[in-house]
Amino acid sequence: MKKKATALLLAGFLMLTACSSNANTNNQADTGSEGNAAGSQKITVWAWDKNFNIAAMNLAKDAYVADHPDAQIEVVEYAQDDIIQKMNTGLNSGTASGLPNIVLIEDYRAQSFLQTYPDSFQELGDAINASDFADYKLGPTSFDGKQYGVPFDSGVVGLYVRTDYLQEAGYTVDDLQDIDWQQYIEIGKAVKAKTGKDMLTQDPNDLGLIRMMIQSAGSWYLKEDGTTPDLKDNAVLKEAFESYKELMNANIVKINSDWSSFLAGFNSGDVASIPTGNWITPSVKSAADQSGKWAVVPFPKLKNAANSVHASNLGGSSWYVLNNEGKEAAVEFLGATLGSDVDLYQKLVTDVGVIGTYKPAAEGEAYGAADEFFGGQKVIADFAKWTAEIPNVNYGLHTYAIEDILKVEMQNYLNGTAVDKALSDAQSQAESQIQ
Amino acid sequence: MEKWLGKLRDQSLFSKIFVVMVISIVLVTVLITGVTVQLSQQLFVQTFSITNSKIIDQIKSGLDNSHYTAVNTAINVGQSGVIRSFMTEKDGSSLANFKRYYSMRDQMDRIQSGIGAANVGLSILGGNGRSYTSDVTYWSGSSEQLKNNPITAAAQEQGGRLFYSFMDAGPLNSGNRYLVAAKALTAPGLAEPYGTLYMFTRESDFRKNYTSFTSRGNDVMFLDTAGRIVSSNRTEQTGSLSPDLLASAKHIALGNLASEELTIAGRDVIVLADYLPSYNFYIVNLIDKDRTIGTLLDKKALVLIGAAIAAVAVLVVYFLTKRLTKSLRTLVKKMSNVTKKNFHNYMSVTGTYETRQLSTAYNYMLKELNDYVAQLVETQKEQRNAELAALQQQINPHFLYNTLASVNILVQRGSKEQATETIHALISLLQNTISNVKETITVEEELVNLKHYIFINQVRNGNRVKVETFVSPDCMKDKVPKLILQPFIENAFFHAFNIKTSGYIYVTIMKDRDTLHCEVVDTGDGMDLDSKQDIPDSTSSRQLFSGIGIRNVHDRLMLLYGEPYGVSISSTPGQGTKVSIKIPC
Repeated sequence: MKKKATALLLAGFLMLTACSSNANTNNQADTGSEGNAAGSQKITVWAWDKNFNIAAMNLAKDAYVADHPDAQIEVVEYAQDDIIQKMNTGLNSGTASGLPNIVLIEDYRAQSFLQTYPDSFQELGDAINASDFADYKLGPTSFDGKQYGVPFDSGVVGLYVRTDYLQEAGYTVDDLQDIDWQQYIEIGKAVKAKTGKDMLTQDPNDLGLIRMMIQSAGSWYLKEDGTTPDLKDNAVLKEAFESYKELMNANIVKINSDWSSFLAGFNSGDVASIPTGNWITPSVKSAADQSGKWAVVPFPKLKNAANSVHASNLGGSSWYVLNNEGKEAAVEFLGATLGSDVDLYQKLVTDVGVIGTYKPAAEGEAYGAADEFFGGQKVIADFAKWTAEIPNVNYGLHTYAIEDILKVEMQNYLNGTAVDKALSDAQSQAESQIQ
Repeated sequence: MEKWLGKLRDQSLFSKIFVVMVISIVLVTVLITGVTVQLSQQLFVQTFSITNSKIIDQIKSGLDNSHYTAVNTAINVGQSGVIRSFMTEKDGSSLANFKRYYSMRDQMDRIQSGIGAANVGLSILGGNGRSYTSDVTYWSGSSEQLKNNPITAAAQEQGGRLFYSFMDAGPLNSGNRYLVAAKALTAPGLAEPYGTLYMFTRESDFRKNYTSFTSRGNDVMFLDTAGRIVSSNRTEQTGSLSPDLLASAKHIALGNLASEELTIAGRDVIVLADYLPSYNFYIVNLIDKDRTIGTLLDKKALVLIGAAIAAVAVLVVYFLTKRLTKSLRTLVKKMSNVTKKNFHNYMSVTGTYETRQLSTAYNYMLKELNDYVAQLVETQKEQRNAELAALQQQINPHFLYNTLASVNILVQRGSKEQATETIHALISLLQNTISNVKETITVEEELVNLKHYIFINQVRNGNRVKVETFVSPDCMKDKVPKLILQPFIENAFFHAFNIKTSGYIYVTIMKDRDTLHCEVVDTGDGMDLDSKQDIPDSTSSRQLFSGIGIRNVHDRLMLLYGEPYGVSISSTPGQGTKVSIKIPC
């Protein structure tokens, strides 16, 4: 009996120790699996505009995940300003933690990032073949002979016009082919007189129109070196300013305050045309009731600028990989999708309306498709054609810094300051600010 | 089974002690564990309530800062004439609009920059339909859609008050949830508000105000007055309605209570709540008792430790009790054996101090008992001896009288020599019986006494009974109790020959190893002996020479030499009687 009892007690002790040791192993197993989860690299992507960039990136993600089931890609939407702020904060403090693996940067700003934080971005090397992309995209996306960005959407611009309003004013689409801004203003006046509709919308805080005008003539706010302001005595810029004032004085401009009211302007049928980048196509098409009433014509050129062409660029951005943990996976992801996937580009066109700058993609079906919304016009093909004609300019580092100065000077100019004075003031301000 | 039961009975003391101890140990362990758990839980709840109410205060002050920023923004927007003009005037020319929009934007940018790094999206919606949104990710809808949003109507109802409301995920705000601080913009002199200001804060940004204070099982959430969870660190709850929580929060906030314990969805929770007047929200802190206390207080470990201690204690008690009761048990066993007429069962002195003392005392008692018994036996012996001695020294006066009468007759008859011989025999007999105080004498001396006695008797009664003695020569020096044979010979003389007138008495003494066999055989009448009573009770019959009877002789021998010795008598009527006496030599 004594032996029995001892054995029982001993068994009890064993069970106790067994229980506690079990608990320990469970805990260890837990932490182990957590560690693993963290180990499988998640690729984070930051971009803005959920209907365009975000949608495109999600398509790329879907295409990639189909081939790589364990890949984890998170696409996060931020306002562009937020991204710039966060990037500057993070990169300035020298830490890339909290920053994404892939970030979308507007071409205008690309050089400022690449040159300011040269070590923070990952060179793509063999992941993409740079010569496969539109030439004008390579300037902003490379630095010091090295390719850092995967060129994304074409910022090629066109003039979207309401054929019905034009018709009412006595014009046809053919009348708007290859016009200059003077002609555009005349047509605008006629349209306003006949239909009461403004010709275009403008946001006083966005000089995109000026940028489009000057790039069409191969000029920019900065000289070729990308750092010297080129405002005073810039004939092209002067003509652009003058054209802008004429638009205002002609009273054919509907003023908008923000993106929503910009969209609302043409979606509600308040304006007859939109001179802007091709990326507006999805927004235009979102008003399905206006199908067939729109056409896209070549961008007006500046009348007096000798080398002004009917092609320009507005916006457009590219994807960059940050030099932080997970960069290899990010480079591989971009290379496999936007860097080489022709089918993906067809999908981008049909599903999102993104016209890429990947040349091989232009051969695809989607690029040659006629669009019923635009009365059967092969808009994508047209845009692709104009993309090739865009004059190459060096956006340099200070596009928006100078634009902030110009916005004020534009006000002064519209309020009566002489254009030369306004530009000369802008020049001196820019020189003092940009060193 | 029976054997086992018997064993159990043997160990009943052990079983009782053990069972009582086990029950007490288990009870004590369970109670202590229970009380510890209970106490630490209470302590935990108290501590948690205190720290968490401080946390709530901290969150509140953080939120008050945010609210202050919102109020400032609202004041700045409300005081800006440019912005008011933007929202009130009718559309003018392109140029005029351009300037108005530009200056409005300029103002708004300035106000926005005053907000600082906080992620707040600003929207204004004018009565004239003009609107401005600082950031399209906060609100991407048109001014029409903004106008139709319920928040706009609510802002009108609230008058000029700044109020917060929850905007659920929708296609117009990038699928995010927002807390919207809205205010109808009014101006003196205007009956109707001229516009509405919206300040969007992402719920995810708002959450950052308090998520650092939360942990698993320690949740913070904000409820609006309709009971909707407008923000929670448990994101899956955001947007859902929770009337229970609202009721509890109201109860706590109104009653100024520290905390309340509730059961929500089957979970026991501690609820801390406060009302945020600036937001018109209730801040609720939910502490899941099981989860949080569970992590702090490892009940399983506590129970296991308790069980382990109890098990060890039981084990120790088992062996200790077993050891303690073992000596007691052997004590009991020995004692029970002692009762069987054996006072010489001494115990081995082992075991604990108490048992050892007990054994010693018991042994001492046994020893004393034995001593006492021995003493008693000795005393009895001595008493008997004294009695005998007294008897021995008592010569029956009749014997003297008869003998002297016989001598007288002899003298008268002139048998001078015979008379003298008789007197001599009498003298020698008396001398030996009275004067010799030694208890034992040699066989030789005894035979001399016998001879004298027989001589005297033959003088008195004639020679019709003859006595023959056959003594083995090696027995002569052996010691025998004085006057051991005399009573039997006297018996034979006076009782054996009542019918027969003559006969013989044979006295035989011989030795067989250590035993001296003495026989007194007569050829007299014999008698019918009661089979049960070997030795006739002769107390009643008068002794003729001394007071010593046959019975006495037997008792005396028994007393002196023990069981196997003594007197035995066999008799056949008409043939004679044989008396055998066995004595050790």
